[in-house]
Amino acid sequence: MGTRKIVVLLVTIALILCIPASGFAGKIQKELVEESTLDQVLRRGVLRVGMSTFVPWAMRDKTGKLVGFEIDVARRLAKDMGVKVQFAPTKWAGIIPALLTGKFDVIIGGMGILPKRNLKVNFSIPYDETGMSLVANKKLAAGFKSLDDFNKKGVVISVRLGATPVAAAKKYMPKAELRQFDDESEAIQEVVNGRAHAMVASAPLPAFLSLKYPGRLFLPLKGTFTKEPIGFAVRKSDFDTLNFFNNWITVVKAEGWLKERKHYWFETRDWEGLLK
Amino acid sequence: MEKVKKKPSLLDIALIFLILAAGTWLFYRIKVGLHYHWNWYAIPQYLLRFDPEEGKWVSNLLLQGLFATIRLSIWGTLLAAFLGVIMGLCRISRSLFLRLLSRTYIEFNRNLPPIVLIFLFYYFVTTQVLGNLNMQGLIQSLPANFQALVGFLFGPPSFIVPFVSALLTLGFFEGAYIAEIVRSGIQSIEKEQWEGGRAIGLSRWQLMRLIIFPLTIRKILPPLAGQFVSTIKDSAIVSVISVQELTFQGMELMSSTYMVFEIWITVTVLYMALTVPVSLSIHRLEVYLRKNIS
Repeated sequence: MGTRKIVVLLVTIALILCIPASGFAGKIQKELVEESTLDQVLRRGVLRVGMSTFVPWAMRDKTGKLVGFEIDVARRLAKDMGVKVQFAPTKWAGIIPALLTGKFDVIIGGMGILPKRNLKVNFSIPYDETGMSLVANKKLAAGFKSLDDFNKKGVVISVRLGATPVAAAKKYMPKAELRQFDDESEAIQEVVNGRAHAMVASAPLPAFLSLKYPGRLFLPLKGTFTKEPIGFAVRKSDFDTLNFFNNWITVVKAEGWLKERKHYWFETRDWEGLLK
Repeated sequence: MEKVKKKPSLLDIALIFLILAAGTWLFYRIKVGLHYHWNWYAIPQYLLRFDPEEGKWVSNLLLQGLFATIRLSIWGTLLAAFLGVIMGLCRISRSLFLRLLSRTYIEFNRNLPPIVLIFLFYYFVTTQVLGNLNMQGLIQSLPANFQALVGFLFGPPSFIVPFVSALLTLGFFEGAYIAEIVRSGIQSIEKEQWEGGRAIGLSRWQLMRLIIFPLTIRKILPPLAGQFVSTIKDSAIVSVISVQELTFQGMELMSSTYMVFEIWITVTVLYMALTVPVSLSIHRLEVYLRKNIS
């Protein structure tokens, strides 16, 4: 019985100790959060960039290295800051929670600036623009020419889970059945194999796909059916970091560097040999 | 021992034929029905590639993922064994508090889907615990040969935080199963052993250490090794928190190359190469223990 009392006493003491300790820890953490990411990056000497693999924004080349438009942007950004870059490949569905819990400093991952997203994270000014486009199965969607053709009961649309395409597909084709996949490649396989009529994805993927599977896929619409600005995402209440990113984007845009990189990754396929 | 039939019966042959036919049909469907450009030539370079800068062969994404899986499984099992033995002992402890504690731990882990547990643990626990530790900086401040050792044991320092998070999660989760193995192992020891020990005046601790534990170890070794195989398999789940293990690297490659089927098949073969030898050695261990003990 004696030990029981001692244990009860110890637990009580531990609980009492916890009260001021948690308050103290909270204060320190608040201070840490208040410190700007920019400062931390400079002190650490490493910029940690969250991204998700997505052709041609970020991809693995033959040697396992990351390449792509976003990768170029992030490398240049780190170089201009005078720090090293470190990429944290992250599943798209978990990328915002990972940013919020401090797994990396910034998301440079082709993230569309959406008001809903903006409630959770801060965005830089747009450094790029994209939109949704559609690639369809030649057999299933024969003769389909407009969004209205796809907005019908019985039409199956495949998309990547948790991404802007889902919202776009729901908005423009509410009557169609939406099939969501964890990975882009699975969504593609679905339309190639004729289990879905079409796939909604950010340009230029649909165009690339129709080139890759000319016998199976085609582009029913010209261009994109939505327009969407893309920005860097950072944690809230960090003005210094945001200001730096905004001005960096303005500078490289003025140089024409962004446009040149975009042309290389989006309008040419010179980089294909890097991958396979 | 019972006699085992060596010759297949007519029914066996018919069944084998049926299975082969089904396999061929499936293969044909995949080959013809899928409209898929197979490209197996691209796969080997994702396992091993020649590095012209260093002039030697180095592992590429898939093998790196396999190594990460091996690291995760070994460390995860060790951590789980540590937690599991403690919790298993608590489970049969005479103290109510310890029994409540271990029971809560075990039920919590066994009644939640691993994927939910992993998210809970990753966002709420390890972020708070590991966030302020600056492990990466710590490792990078070590001398070079130490760094190489840490890299060999735990993978590249830049991924150390997610790796350790995954490790803690996996160990915490698998520990519950090991706790149950330990508990049932101890409880399966015959009552006579306990009574005999008490009769010669051993204390509870001495009884445990000298009689019960040695007997238990023999009984629980095979299921423990089986749990190692489970850990290897379950380690695939931590791909959801973006740990660079085999499944995650495979999916990364798929998103880059769209070679979905080739890569899934390769990943399957790699997992099999890992688990089948372990399973076979468990079987041999069981046979050995049965022959040499009891």
